[in-house]
Amino acid sequence: MASNSSTPFLPSTRREFFSLSAKGAGLLAFSRFAPSFLVRSALAQAPAPEKDRRILVLVQLAGGNDGLNTLVPFEDPKYYALRPTLAIAKEKVLPVADGQGLNPACAALRGLLGEGKLAIVQNVGYPNPNHSHFRSSEIWETGSASDRFLATGWLGRFLDNACSGMPASDHDPVAVHVNTLNGLPETLMGEREHPTFGLSAYAARRRDGEETRRLLEADAAVPPGAPDDDASFLRHTLMDSLVTETKVQAALGGYRPLAAYPANAFAASLRNVAGLIAAGLPTRVYFVTLSGFDTHFNQLGTQERLLETLSTGLAAFQKDLEAHRLEGQVATMTFSEFGRRPFENESKGTDHGTAAPLFLMGSGLRAGLHGAAPSLDLPKNADLAFSTDFRSVYASVLENWLGCPSAPVLGQQFPLLPVFA
Amino acid sequence: MALTPSLPPDAAWQPLPAAAWDAEAARHLLRRAGWTARPEEAERAKREGLEATLDRLFPERPHYFPEPALAAQVGEDSPAYRSRIRAAAGPEERRTIQKEEQERIQAALQDLSLRWLEYARQPEHAAFAKWVLFLGDVYVVGADKVRDVDLVFRHFDLLARGGLGRAPELTKAVSRSPAMMIYLDLNQNRKEAPNENFARELFELFVLGEGNYTERDIKEAARAFTGYRARPATADFVFAAGQHDGGIKTVFGQSGDFGGDEVIDLAYGQRAAGAFLPHELAKFYLSDAPLPREHLLALGDAWRSGGYDLRWLARRFFGSRLFFAPEYRGNFIKSPVQFYLGMTQDLGLSVPPLPRFVLSPLRQMGQVLFVPPNVRGWVGGRAWINSTSLAARRTLAEMLFTPVDDLRLNADEARALAAARADGAGHFSVPAARLDPFLAESPAEAARRMQSEFLAAPPEPALQQGLADYLAAAAPGPDRFRRVRRAAITLLETPAYQLC
Repeated sequence: MASNSSTPFLPSTRREFFSLSAKGAGLLAFSRFAPSFLVRSALAQAPAPEKDRRILVLVQLAGGNDGLNTLVPFEDPKYYALRPTLAIAKEKVLPVADGQGLNPACAALRGLLGEGKLAIVQNVGYPNPNHSHFRSSEIWETGSASDRFLATGWLGRFLDNACSGMPASDHDPVAVHVNTLNGLPETLMGEREHPTFGLSAYAARRRDGEETRRLLEADAAVPPGAPDDDASFLRHTLMDSLVTETKVQAALGGYRPLAAYPANAFAASLRNVAGLIAAGLPTRVYFVTLSGFDTHFNQLGTQERLLETLSTGLAAFQKDLEAHRLEGQVATMTFSEFGRRPFENESKGTDHGTAAPLFLMGSGLRAGLHGAAPSLDLPKNADLAFSTDFRSVYASVLENWLGCPSAPVLGQQFPLLPVFA
Repeated sequence: MALTPSLPPDAAWQPLPAAAWDAEAARHLLRRAGWTARPEEAERAKREGLEATLDRLFPERPHYFPEPALAAQVGEDSPAYRSRIRAAAGPEERRTIQKEEQERIQAALQDLSLRWLEYARQPEHAAFAKWVLFLGDVYVVGADKVRDVDLVFRHFDLLARGGLGRAPELTKAVSRSPAMMIYLDLNQNRKEAPNENFARELFELFVLGEGNYTERDIKEAARAFTGYRARPATADFVFAAGQHDGGIKTVFGQSGDFGGDEVIDLAYGQRAAGAFLPHELAKFYLSDAPLPREHLLALGDAWRSGGYDLRWLARRFFGSRLFFAPEYRGNFIKSPVQFYLGMTQDLGLSVPPLPRFVLSPLRQMGQVLFVPPNVRGWVGGRAWINSTSLAARRTLAEMLFTPVDDLRLNADEARALAAARADGAGHFSVPAARLDPFLAESPAEAARRMQSEFLAAPPEPALQQGLADYLAAAAPGPDRFRRVRRAAITLLETPAYQLC
């Protein structure tokens, strides 16, 4: 088992494992510390890829995306009064309906809308809004009311419900987060531990990640006859995650996208998500982050670049899924911790605000605008009053997409939106 | 998990013979009593000897953690918020005020956590800070229930100031700690309806341990603590004589018109009180496997007969033959706080004022400072590790090698960072120069040195060979630095680095 050989010594898929088994290098080689999914599959002799499950891809726009310059109320003179330097000229806006239009950087999203694959929920927020990045992210991620503190995420609780009865840490990841800088998003934390997997944003250069993995693999193998002590326990836990990592990397390495992705890290993350979906992992939830929306200064150019990255990345992802005939399985949704203040500030930027639109993308949607646009009849420097509670969006995704009752996850029944066909 | 110590009870607590005080022993002491063992700290400890080192780790005049301004402000504002909430015109206004206070409390708790970590990571504070964290894991309060961050601070301050004095005095102070009175509902303890919560935890979790008292003892003791109150305006302790049950109570077979302090003295009169804290010490510092009863009693009897002096206990425990026995070397799973602070010391870093990059990883690893899961505190040991928490540890190691300015900071975060830098904070991520010593060595020597600096367990030949081969395969030029950096990160992700 040379640690520097180019082939990992552990099988990275069930098929490889079984072919190794057939050659006599089977379970015994791993002793009782064999990764549990291998043991289980070997016992069942029938690995069961769960290919027909519906998948949610969540895209976090971190920093607080300005809603008024994303979905622009270009017929409303009050918008132009609020935004003396930041307003987007009427002739540049990409019209949608009802006097609302998309930022010119969202051309690719406008295209999806025309094809019936994009829904826009307007003015989404929550009562008693909080202006702190940390706290408002926590509210969105846990799905709590703003005066309540929850220790688990809304999708973590979905997994608690959906995966009850499945032994923990005993199978492929049910949730994968890509390119997040501070580890497992709170959204995915459940009451119980679920097998999750993070594609590191740090070892973004694949070579670095592979080198660490190879060194750790050599170190994580538990020698036969080792005592059942904490060191063995740590090795066993590490080995389990390295097996998943190897498997994920193998899936990504062999993936051939059927759409051209733009050359940026966000698009690369989406490409990786497409690769894992195409590999048939039983993962139900993917979480991807695009950061930089905290536009206090010189917002115009910064936000346009980000929206273009978002827009072109999502469109490539959707096209790729379609080419793989996977689009019927996947819905993608964006969220941001808050929108921004309607009144622009003195630095050609905007400060922390409240409600904003969010996007849902997929083939099974009712495309177009949902919910009501915000009223711009505002006292000086006031915030937007939300019209759709974010938990209504969550409830709709849970019930009408993921097929799970929403009240146990969200603590109460929120009205559903007719977003899914 | 059973483990029989290699030393019998009568030999276990004898002082470590001077001849056994070597570099490895010094490193073991620093890692277990503090967060890690920097080579220069270990060198100094070895040179000065065990006694002098214990003097330094558990000093007569410790440097106490000062109260952060935000926490103090929460305390000062608390009465005003209460009266504003009372005077609110309706539920809507009340909610707005409550939310405003809640936000300030949250911000103050984050600030308290970050500042405590920055205080605790400094090598000269490490052992004492960890000792207070240990006492806080015995005398548990949770900021989630207490809410007032000022009171949480005052509770830990009380543990720090009494933490090397006599245990019965500390326990009496704890019974008057406003945070504790709120946390265990002592504030609700009225003559007509005694609340047993505090009395139960006093016996079970602070002084005696389960099985060493009866339900009747608890009921009677609860009556003795009636009348304990926190003054509404200042939250200071006050004894409300009118709420006190002055009748005769029978506790541990003795009868009298006892008050709370007398009940605490009666509890410390039990032999089990001697063995209880040593048991907690061993669980926090030594091993998941509990020490045999005879070993605990051997230490406990001596501690008890000396009047329950906590400094004596710390010195005897950390200076004992048992503490240095081979079965306790390099095999205890680090808590998330120790993993993080040990790593900052190993890498020479400060704690950045960024909740998202410090407190979120700690939460993913399973430890929210000042918010333990319940009154028993953290389970510790193997319970710290699962696939999620191990992944979080690995991500944190990677993060500390990433320039903090590359972390896509929000404007608030960038401002907090700039302020910390203006205050003279050190590095927040590993500077290239930190890796120079390894770059200067041959691959084999660099691999050996990295292991001996970072790992508590003895070097593993396979890992060492793997790292040496990896470093030796560097292409000329920048690849050498890249590999040294990668090797260091990898080492922090190994199972061995999770152990101390």
